Amino acid sequence: MVAVFNGPEEHNLVVCTLCSCYPWPVLGLPPAWYKSPDYRARAVREPRAVLSEFGVTLPETTRIHVWDSTAEIRYLVIPERPPGTEGMDADALAALVTRDSMIGCDLLEPPA
Amino acid sequence: MNGPQDVGGRHGFGPVVPEDESIRFHAEWEKRVLGVTLASAALGYWNIDASRHARESLPPAIYYGASYYEIWLRGLEALSPAQERFRRRNSPTAGRSRPVSARTAGCRRTRSGGSGQGRPDRTPRPRPPLRHRRPGPHAQSPAEGSHRLPGYARGREGIVTALHGCHVYPDTNAHFEGEQPCPLYTVRFDATELFGGMPIRP
Repeated sequence: MVAVFNGPEEHNLVVCTLCSCYPWPVLGLPPAWYKSPDYRARAVREPRAVLSEFGVTLPETTRIHVWDSTAEIRYLVIPERPPGTEGMDADALAALVTRDSMIGCDLLEPPA
Repeated sequence: MNGPQDVGGRHGFGPVVPEDESIRFHAEWEKRVLGVTLASAALGYWNIDASRHARESLPPAIYYGASYYEIWLRGLEALSPAQERFRRRNSPTAGRSRPVSARTAGCRRTRSGGSGQGRPDRTPRPRPPLRHRRPGPHAQSPAEGSHRLPGYARGREGIVTALHGCHVYPDTNAHFEGEQPCPLYTVRFDATELFGGMPIRP
């Protein structure tokens, strides 16, 4: 399994265009949309449009990397640490993390 | 093969519909298909590459009209002939005669995810990044059989950025022709190399 790290300048998005490869040991079974032809077809060609359907808009200057698993390697996205989390420990940070953010389809909100 | 599964970059598909993260199934029968598929695979009559190939060999009209777990179920149906090929090419004691403990271990491996297809690599390899390496010649016009090269990347120029050691070669394993482990690389492509410039929307 390969972990890829999101940040202000680089955003990673995971897809399996041929089937449904997904980091089961960490994230469990993939959601239906991840396995849908809609996501698989469009994530590689128009990732910004796909992200907008999750309510995610990235700055034009952010470079997007799309990782196509296609069988052998599983990718896990480490989401960008949101502002206002300085001093939080691992457990508190983990509570902010969503499943979709670890696919690359969500941005984490600062703590309320 | 240019099968219906190879949808990466294709036009005409619709919006992605996110849903609550707690939802895993949309019907009770889907859970049973998942369970039967994993349990059947653990019997050892076929391998994961053969099961993918079975799903990807479904007629396009059926594949595109089927939900995910329906594709899995139809793939299982198609694997029965594959099982016969396996039995012809292997010892008659292979598969079914394995002890129950081996079967459940296989099931656990399947459930734990990951490909589990890594194999030892004893041959020195050049270290990435390797610039402007082209895909192999078969990538230009793939055989009819199974392979894992998406159509959108076929014949395109990329950069090898990582070597992951040797893995089972799906092109042969899917057809019960042996694992024939090969080096596995990550290749990075620019979007403009794959899809041209920005699309012009009316």
